[in-house]
Amino acid sequence: MKKKTNKFLSVLICLAFLLSLWELIAWYLDQVKHDPMAVKKLPYLHRVIEQIFRDADSLMSAVMFTFTKALEGFFIGALIGIAIAVLMSFHKSLEKMILPYMIVFQMIPILALAPIVYSVVRDQNASRTVLAAFITFFPVAVNMYQGLRSVDNDKKELMRILAADRIVVYAKLMFPFSKSYLFTGLKLAAPAAVTAAILVEMMGSSQGIGFKILSALYYGATGAINFWASVVMASLMGVCTYFLVAAVELLTSPEFLTRLFRRKGGGAKC
Amino acid sequence: MLKLLKKCQDLIISLLLGALILFLWQAGKIHELLSLKPYQLPLPDEILKTFRENADVIRDNTFWTLREALLGILIGSLIGFAVAVFAAAFPKIGIGGISIVTAVNAIPMIAMASIMNNWFGMATASKAAVVAVFSMAAMALNAFRGMTDLPEFSRELMQICAARRMTVFFKLQLPNSIPYVLTALKISTTTGLMAAICSEFFTSYKGIGYKLTSSIKLSQMSMAWSYILVATLCGVLMYAVLSVVERVLLKWHASQR
Repeated sequence: MKKKTNKFLSVLICLAFLLSLWELIAWYLDQVKHDPMAVKKLPYLHRVIEQIFRDADSLMSAVMFTFTKALEGFFIGALIGIAIAVLMSFHKSLEKMILPYMIVFQMIPILALAPIVYSVVRDQNASRTVLAAFITFFPVAVNMYQGLRSVDNDKKELMRILAADRIVVYAKLMFPFSKSYLFTGLKLAAPAAVTAAILVEMMGSSQGIGFKILSALYYGATGAINFWASVVMASLMGVCTYFLVAAVELLTSPEFLTRLFRRKGGGAKC
Repeated sequence: MLKLLKKCQDLIISLLLGALILFLWQAGKIHELLSLKPYQLPLPDEILKTFRENADVIRDNTFWTLREALLGILIGSLIGFAVAVFAAAFPKIGIGGISIVTAVNAIPMIAMASIMNNWFGMATASKAAVVAVFSMAAMALNAFRGMTDLPEFSRELMQICAARRMTVFFKLQLPNSIPYVLTALKISTTTGLMAAICSEFFTSYKGIGYKLTSSIKLSQMSMAWSYILVATLCGVLMYAVLSVVERVLLKWHASQR
C-alpha cells in the first residue's frame, strides 16, 4: 500500500514539473522572445484549460461522438481478433497456416491504409469503424493467441481425462487463463482505435474531435487556443480509454467478483 | 529428403493459402463478395504494373519517408534511453516519470503531428519529431524495465562485492537492458514508419503519405496500393535487419540458445 502511494506521489511530482515547464516555455516564448507565433506554438496552459471549460459542451459532444464510433470498431475488431486466436488454437496446422500472415500483417502501417479505406468504403462512419476494427484486431489476436498457447499441458490433459467437452475446456480453462493476455492486447488497442477514428475524421468528416482539430487549424491565431484545447482533449481521450479497459479488467477480476458476491457464497471456491 | 519436405510442409501450406487469396483477388471473387469495383480495389497485376512503371518516383518518395522515420527513431531512442538511465538512477522520482511516459503512447499520432507542424515547419524536421516522440516513449519504457528487472542473484552478488554504483550500471544494468532496447527498436520501426506516413497526410510536399493521399485524390488506386506495398516492405526489411543485429548481439542470451 505504501509503495502505491509513493508511486502516486512521484507521478504527481513529475506531472507538476512537466506542467510548470509548459507554463515556463510558454512564458518564455511570449514575454522574452516576443514570438508573434507564440499562441500557435505553445499557448499558456491555464489559457488552454480555461478554453476547455468555456467550450466544454461542444468539446464533450465531439469527444463522445468520436468515442462511440471508435468503440464500435474496437468491439468488432476485438471479437474478430479473439475469433482468429481461438481458431489458431484449435489445430496445429491452422496455426501454422495463419501465424506467418499475422506477423507480416503487423508490419503493415495500418493507419496508412486510412485514405484507401476511406475511398473504398466511401462512407465516413463506416470507414471509421472499419479502420478502428482493423487496428484493434492485430494486438488482440496476437496477445489472445499467446494466452491460449501458454495454458499448461497438465491442465489440458486433466480436462481430457475428465472427458470434458471442447466447449467446456474453453469455457473453464482456456478463456479464464488467457484473460490477462487478452486485456494486455485490449489495452494496447484501445488508444490506437481512438487514433484511427480521429485520423479518419481528419480525412473528411463534419463531426467529432478530429474535425474540431482540423477546423481550428484554419483559423490562425484565434483558432490556436481552440486547436490546443481540442488536441489536449484528444490526448486525454486516448489516455482515458486505456484506463477504461484497465478498469473493466479490474471489475471482471475474480478477486473483485468474489468480494462482490461473497454473501451469496460465491467466494467459497477461491 | 522426406524430412526436409516435412519441415517445409508448414511453409508450403501457408504459401498456398497466400497464393489462393491472391488468385481469388485476381479472379475478381473478392470484388464480387464485397461488391466492389476494380477502380476501388485494383487487381494485383495492375498494382505490380504501376509499381514497375513508376519505380523511380516511388523509390524517391520512399527514401524521403525512410529518412524522416530513421532520423526520428535515432533521436527519439537516444532521448528515451537517457530518460531511462535517469529514471533508473533516481527510482523514487523515476517511476512517476516512466508512468507519464506510458501515457504518451496513448496520445493520438495525428494530434502530435499538427503540433509538430507548428513547431518545426513542413519539412523533414516536423515528421522526424513526431516519430521521435513515440520512439522515445517505447525506448524509455523498455530500457527502464531492462535496467530495473535485474536477476536477483546478480544484484546480490554486486552488493556482496560492494560494487560502486557506476560499476553496477556498466557491468550489470547496461548489459541487462540490451534485449529490451532491441525490443524497443523493433516497436519503433513499425510505429515510426506509421507516424512518419500519417504526419505526411496533411501538410507535406513529398513522401509516402503525401503520395498516398494525392494519388487517391486523382483516383489512381493502384498507385496508392503500390505505396502501401513499399511501406510494408520497408517495415519487414527494418525488422529483419534488427533481428540479425539481435542474433549477433545476444549470442549469450537465453532466448537465442
